Amino acid sequence: MTTGKGTGATTVEKPAGFAILQIVLIPVIAALNYVTGVIINILKLPLFMDTWATMFGTVVAGLWVGAAGGFLYNIIMAFTLWGLPAWVWGFINIYIAVITWALWRIGWVTVKSPAKLVAAGIIVGVTNVVPVTIISWGVFGLMPTYAGTAWIYAAVLASTNDTLSASVVSSIIAEIPDKLISLILAAVVASRMPARFTLRPPKA
Amino acid sequence: MSSTAFGILRSGYVARDTFVHRLDGRTKFLFFLWISLFNYIFYDLYVTIVSFLVVMSLAFVARIQRFVVTVLVIIVLPIVLLGVGIIGGPFGFAHNKTAIAAIQVLGFTIGLYLEGTVYVSVWTSRLAVTITAALLAYVTTHPSDLAAIMLKSRLPYKFAYAFLATIQLIPILTNEITTIYQAQVSRGLNVKAKLIDRFKSIIVLMIPLTLGAINQTQIRAIALESRGFSAPVKKVMLRDPVLKASDYAIFAMMAIITCFLIYLILTRGLVPFMVGIEYVRPGG
Repeated sequence: MTTGKGTGATTVEKPAGFAILQIVLIPVIAALNYVTGVIINILKLPLFMDTWATMFGTVVAGLWVGAAGGFLYNIIMAFTLWGLPAWVWGFINIYIAVITWALWRIGWVTVKSPAKLVAAGIIVGVTNVVPVTIISWGVFGLMPTYAGTAWIYAAVLASTNDTLSASVVSSIIAEIPDKLISLILAAVVASRMPARFTLRPPKA
Repeated sequence: MSSTAFGILRSGYVARDTFVHRLDGRTKFLFFLWISLFNYIFYDLYVTIVSFLVVMSLAFVARIQRFVVTVLVIIVLPIVLLGVGIIGGPFGFAHNKTAIAAIQVLGFTIGLYLEGTVYVSVWTSRLAVTITAALLAYVTTHPSDLAAIMLKSRLPYKFAYAFLATIQLIPILTNEITTIYQAQVSRGLNVKAKLIDRFKSIIVLMIPLTLGAINQTQIRAIALESRGFSAPVKKVMLRDPVLKASDYAIFAMMAIITCFLIYLILTRGLVPFMVGIEYVRPGG
């Protein structure tokens, strides 16, 4: 590809095909995370599932595409509905992309071995409690923010008098099923991708 | 999140000719960052209430108060109710000492406590201020101005593209999922089925949506390439936002108030106006 630039022609030496495909995929991942909320709303499910597209993007197009798409989703939400401090939730999406990528690399994120897939989902859910608690501490003052687990928060607070314990326990209860089902969905959808939609450059 | 909240993002920019709309996007985003930052520094309900009144007044000036109130009712109100009921209530928040109202039931005291209620009120009003300021900046700035501002702020054009493309894609995919949902319902999808069946329904909705979106990705990538998206030339924008006198007036006002707030922190600490309420750290 040759383009005019001021005094002369500049030659683009690398084919831009996969790079541009991955850049275009980033907003798709962010929008898919967002639209999942519509589906959850329609089906009245007691989960968030707003990280499944991050996992999907990581599996089908690579770590940085998943992480960037997930982070962008949180940036959009922070600048619109959630308010500024919520941008820090973006780090959760980066963490999700990293751990999904690591588990995918060792072959655990695949529908071909359901046991490993379930184990991977539980690992993502359990380990995700740490960044979630840190963000909940800084942005929401460790308050209960999700009605689905508020009664667990109240029960733990009543027995320990400690908002940190209440927040951690209610996060564990919410995160494990949420991340498990999100990872299963990402693996199932990725397995249904036709080969012609490949989003990774061929290995040299 | 409710469909009303999605409706707000779907509508995006609200075209009006008001003082707030005429301000430069950079001024509005700087105001958003500034007011959010100060609200998270102070632990004082009076400071956050005054900030909230300021941002709500601006929402009225911009004539977007309906949007703002709807979002606050959907996002902040549930957190207020949960927080006051649990942390302000009789569930053992460690700082609760002063009962505002209490009744005796079977020998147990069930009451609402001042410390917990103030704690929840401070944190939720911080959220309300930042959300209102964010909406104020977002729905009163034209998307083309947003793109121009990002490029002027020296952000990579690829990031600007991704940000704006996401805002464009959200309504497209939301419409698409509505169509897919109706098609699947006509084929027998039951959204009032048992919980497990509803989980299975996600797959039949998500696969066509995702594959359709990936297909569009390929088409969009070709379209971008053909328009020279990757060409190594300086990108220019159709719009060129310029700071006006009103923007500089807002900057000056923010600078003066910042000096006053720093003076308040130095002389009266992070709880300058609330009397008899201690500073409570989250988890502390």
